[in-house]
Amino acid sequence: MATPLPAFVARRRPDWDTLKDLLARQRAGTLRLEELRTLDVLYRKAAADLAHAQTFYAGTDVHRFLNQLCGQAYGAIYQPPRERWAATLAFFRRDFPRALRANGAFVAASTGLFVLGILLGALVVLLEPRGAELLVPEHLRDFIARKEMWTDGILSVAPPNAVASGIATNNLTVIIVTFASGILLGLGTVFTLINNGVHLGSVGALCVHEGMGPKLFDFIAAHGPVELSIIVIAGGAGLMVGQALIDPGELPRGQALVLRGREAVKLVLGCAPFLALIAVVEGFVSPGDFFSSWMKGVLGLALGALFWTYLLRAGRDELA
Amino acid sequence: MDSAASPNLDVATPERVALSLPVAGIGYRCLAYLIDIVLLFLFWVVAYFTFTLLVSDVLGFFEGLSGFTRTLMVVGVFATQWLYWTVCEVVMGGQTPGKRLIGIRVVRVDGSPVGVLESAVRNLVRVVDFLPGLYATGCLSMLLTRQHRRLGDLLAGTLLVREERIDLDKYTAPAAEAPAVSAASSRMRLAPEDVELILAFLTRAPQLEPAARTRLGTKLVDRYGGLGEEERATVLASPQATESFLRTRVQAER
Repeated sequence: MATPLPAFVARRRPDWDTLKDLLARQRAGTLRLEELRTLDVLYRKAAADLAHAQTFYAGTDVHRFLNQLCGQAYGAIYQPPRERWAATLAFFRRDFPRALRANGAFVAASTGLFVLGILLGALVVLLEPRGAELLVPEHLRDFIARKEMWTDGILSVAPPNAVASGIATNNLTVIIVTFASGILLGLGTVFTLINNGVHLGSVGALCVHEGMGPKLFDFIAAHGPVELSIIVIAGGAGLMVGQALIDPGELPRGQALVLRGREAVKLVLGCAPFLALIAVVEGFVSPGDFFSSWMKGVLGLALGALFWTYLLRAGRDELA
Repeated sequence: MDSAASPNLDVATPERVALSLPVAGIGYRCLAYLIDIVLLFLFWVVAYFTFTLLVSDVLGFFEGLSGFTRTLMVVGVFATQWLYWTVCEVVMGGQTPGKRLIGIRVVRVDGSPVGVLESAVRNLVRVVDFLPGLYATGCLSMLLTRQHRRLGDLLAGTLLVREERIDLDKYTAPAAEAPAVSAASSRMRLAPEDVELILAFLTRAPQLEPAARTRLGTKLVDRYGGLGEEERATVLASPQATESFLRTRVQAER
């Protein structure tokens, strides 16, 4: 027969209290090396006490207390590594481009869906201009009817840095939704991609139809290539999640989902800073005629080429 | 006392003991969420008044800054909408201020702490869990999954565990007064469940209805006392005496 419960508690309690204190100090980050060793020793002792409690005092408060204590200590001891700055650098130098290359097929599929949407939207409007009433929002149609760019007005009311940050957060929200809706069996992502494509295609076609093609090109050229690439990449991430749900392969569905989710979110997190950068271009360069159309076009192509060179080359030469 | 009703997260540690942590249900999660959005709301009330002060300042002193503050505003909206949860969870070890107050924590399904990737996934999927409004999808998913996980948790491989406040003092608290009956000699030993039962009664006794207090106390004395007729009468004279006797009975188990 084991020790009676009150005696067990009275004997072991000092160690548990010390461990609790150490854990609190560890969370506050004021632990010295020798205290860290004590923490490790005390954790092992507490784990042994837990095993003892499981056998002899199952279901009592002591058992639950030890469960919780060991759980906290376990969390503190088996923490993920903390070198955040180095890890962030490594993420952008290696992990992000690699994750993208490994899942190129999904990005390709998402590009296909997006292009499909653009073609659909453009075809409808070009073949039957009245279709624009269905596809293009009314306030945009008003602008186009007046042969004005709707983006010209933005700058006159707000300073460009505010416009840029507004655009950045707006675009980030779009890519987050595109990715996150992948959890709805991928259908959400498919819908978002096609929907955005149709929107873009129909507005583009209406502009061309109304003779505003050059103006639209002038606005889109500088930031379009990178921005559309990023939306397509986020779409690829959403499709990965959807695929894990529909066809988990040899793993149980839950595990496949977690595995894919970790991989897919890399694509989204990796895109975020580039989206912020391109929003600066969209806020400062794209509107107005400070830069000529061809300069914007060249800038856009150069940025797009740079972005894709980075995605396809970075981290390739270091061991695969 | 028994937590069979709520599910547990079972973890096998490298030390070869099995941890079993209680999972936080939908109520805890809602409370923590409410606290968090109230905090954010208060933050925005303050920010809003500061902002309007800056924009409409009478002296025109801050006018040059207004473009910059607008930028801050936009970035701030984004941060509180999307980044708040992930940043807090990564920095505060799986907790946001609301979760800390309620005493729940995000962990991976194997019990280890969450990293940036998991936290980012579960908080990005928040937008889908919110559909079509008021966390309908998330709540449905929490009700249907065994460990009360929303879609974001399923995708990230995380769940929320509860931290209880457990009072160990009750095991070692000294008896209030000298017991009327010191040590009845022939006594069966108390099993841990019995100790737990008596202690649970002693903890709750002060809040019980007088009748229930006496009735339960009597039952426990009859069951664990092993007393003669006279001793029993002295012990049962008042609730204080009964409880004092029971406490001594537990203490004698050392």
